[in-house]
Amino acid sequence: MSDSKTATAPASGNGIPVGSWQAHIANLFGTRHGALGAGILIVLVIVATAAPLIAPYNPLEQTQLSLAPPSSQFLFGTDNIGRDVFSLVVYGSRSSLLVGLGAALAALLIGGTLGILAGYFQGPVEAALMRLVELFQTLPVIILVLCAVALFGSNFWLLIAAVALAIWPMEARLVYGQYIKLRDREFIAAARVADLSTAHIMFREILPNAIQPIIVQVALDASIAILIEAGLGFLGLSDPSKVSWGRLLFVAQDYMDSAWWMSLFPGAAICITVVGLNLFADGLNEVIDPRSTSGMGGLQ
Amino acid sequence: MLRFVGRRALYAIPLLLAIIILMFSMLHMIPGDPVQALVGDYPVPPAYRQVIEEKYRLNDPFLVQVGNYLLNVAQGDFGFSYQNQRGVLDLILERAPRTILLASVSFALAIPLGMAIGIAAGTTRRPGVDKFWTTTALIAYAIPTFWLGQLLVMLFALRLGWFPTQGIGPLISRTHGIAWLFEKLRYLALPVLAFGIHEGMRIARIMRASVIDTLSQGYIITARSKGLSRGQIIRSHVLRNSSLPLVTIAGYAFGSALGGAVLLETVFTWPGLGLLLVDSIRLRDNMTVVGVVIFSAVAVVAMNLIVDLLYAALDPRIRTMR
Repeated sequence: MSDSKTATAPASGNGIPVGSWQAHIANLFGTRHGALGAGILIVLVIVATAAPLIAPYNPLEQTQLSLAPPSSQFLFGTDNIGRDVFSLVVYGSRSSLLVGLGAALAALLIGGTLGILAGYFQGPVEAALMRLVELFQTLPVIILVLCAVALFGSNFWLLIAAVALAIWPMEARLVYGQYIKLRDREFIAAARVADLSTAHIMFREILPNAIQPIIVQVALDASIAILIEAGLGFLGLSDPSKVSWGRLLFVAQDYMDSAWWMSLFPGAAICITVVGLNLFADGLNEVIDPRSTSGMGGLQ
Repeated sequence: MLRFVGRRALYAIPLLLAIIILMFSMLHMIPGDPVQALVGDYPVPPAYRQVIEEKYRLNDPFLVQVGNYLLNVAQGDFGFSYQNQRGVLDLILERAPRTILLASVSFALAIPLGMAIGIAAGTTRRPGVDKFWTTTALIAYAIPTFWLGQLLVMLFALRLGWFPTQGIGPLISRTHGIAWLFEKLRYLALPVLAFGIHEGMRIARIMRASVIDTLSQGYIITARSKGLSRGQIIRSHVLRNSSLPLVTIAGYAFGSALGGAVLLETVFTWPGLGLLLVDSIRLRDNMTVVGVVIFSAVAVVAMNLIVDLLYAALDPRIRTMR
C-alpha cells in the first residue's frame, strides 16, 4: 500500500502508451503488492488446474491410517476417514476459485446491469433500483445466503448463484456511482447531441471510462465470495459431493482435540487465497489511480 | 435535523415490510413439508396432519398467510416455533441478550484497537511502521473468524486449558460477585478475541485510509503553518475528521453483528441468535427463521439510524443539509 513511487511511475520509454492495458499490467507487476498478489493467484490457478498432477493421492481415497499426523508420507496428515489432507487441500482450491470467480462475475453481471440502468435513467427507475439495492444491503450477507441455500439446495452452481445474490448490491452501488459521476460530463452531452443511441452511450461512451474501479471491485468481490463459500462449507451447507476448504473445516470441528492439522491447513489455504486477491486488488488500485490514498505517505 | 431523522425513520418502515414479505415468500418456496419436519422420521397420521394444518393455518392461500402474519407481528405475535414448542418472540428474547453481549464486548475491543492501529499507521513518519501494520491488518482481516476461532480453541482451550472450549457456562451458577464475573469472562474470552481481531482489523484499514485522506486536506496545512505540534494536529483535527467514515462502517457492522454472528456462534456453540438461525434453517422451523431475520433487519435499520444521528452530531454540514 505504500509503494507510491513504483505505482505512479508511468510506463513509457518502451513504446507502450501510458494508460494502456499493457502498461497497466507492467505497472501492476511493478508494485510490490500487485506482484505478490498476482503471483499468489497464478500459483493457485496452476494448483487448481494441475491438481491431479500435484496431489499425491486421490483425495477421496481412504487409506488405513486415519488421523495420522503430518509426516513425509502424508504432508498435511490424514483426516478422520484416512484421506490425505494435502490432496484434499489441493483439490479444494478448485471449488474455492470457481465459486470466487463465478460469483464475482455473476455479481458483476447482475449488479453492473442494474447499476448501469439506475445510473443512466434518472427518476423512477433509478429510485426503484436503488431501493432494491438497499433492501438487499439491509439483510446481513450470511443470513441471505443461508436462506437462499436452504431454499435452492446446495448444488454447486446454485451455491454460486446464492453467493452472487449476496454480493451484487456492492457492485450495483459502485457501477451506479461511476455512472452518476460520468453522466453529466461534457462528452456524454456531446454524444447525446450527436444523437447516438442510448445503448451506444451506455456501453461505448460511459462503460470504458467507468471500468477500472469496477475491475478492482470484482477482485474484492471474489475474495468475499470465497469467504462466504468457506462459511457455508463450515456450516455443512455446501455441496457434499465437492471437496472444499470450508467443508474440511466443518469436519475438523469435531476433531479439534485430536487432529489440529485437519483445521490448520485448509484454513491457511483460505487465508492465502483471500490475501492474494486483496493484494492483487490493492496493486490494481494503485496502478489505476495513483492518487488513491493507499499509496500516500504519512504526516511528514 | 429532526425532520431529517424523522424522514429516515419513516423510510425504514416500507423497507422492513419488504424484507418480511421477501423472507416469507422465500421460505414459502422451500421444498419440504413442515408437518413432516415436526413429526420427524415417522409417517404422519392423516388425522394429526389435519389438526396441525388447521392449527397453524398451513393451507391458507399464500397472501392470506402473509397478511395474517403481518397483522400478528403488528400485535407483537411472531408465531410459534413447533420445533422448540415455544413462542418465537420468547425464543428471540432469550437468545438476543447473549448475542448482544458478545457483539458489544467484541466491538468494545475492536474499536479502540482498530483506531489505534489505523492512526499509528496513518500518521507515522517511518514507512516501516506503516508497512508492518498494513500487512498485519491485511492478513488478519483475511482470516475467517470461524477458523481463527478453531485455532484459538485448539491452542488456548484444548492445549493450554486456560479457557472453556464452548458454551456460555452453567445456567445456574454456584459462584457470586467477582468469581461469577470471572467465570463469565472465561467463556467470553475466546469468541470475543476472534470477533474483536477481525472487526478491529477492518476498522484499522478504514481508519488508516481515512487518516491519510484527512492529512492531505488544506486545513491540516493551515494548522501546521499556525505552528501547532504534531500531537495537537492529530488530536484536534485528524481524529475527529477521520472518524466519520468509521462511524458508518462500524455502525453497519455492529448492526449486522446484533443479528447474530452465525459462524462464530457455531464454532463456540454460543447459544445466541446466530446459532438459533442455523438450527432453525436445518429444522425447517420457518416461523423462527423469519422472526430472527426480522430481528436482525430491525437491528441493522436501527443502527443505521443511530449512525445518521451520530454523523449529524459529528459533522455540522449534515445538519444544515436539505
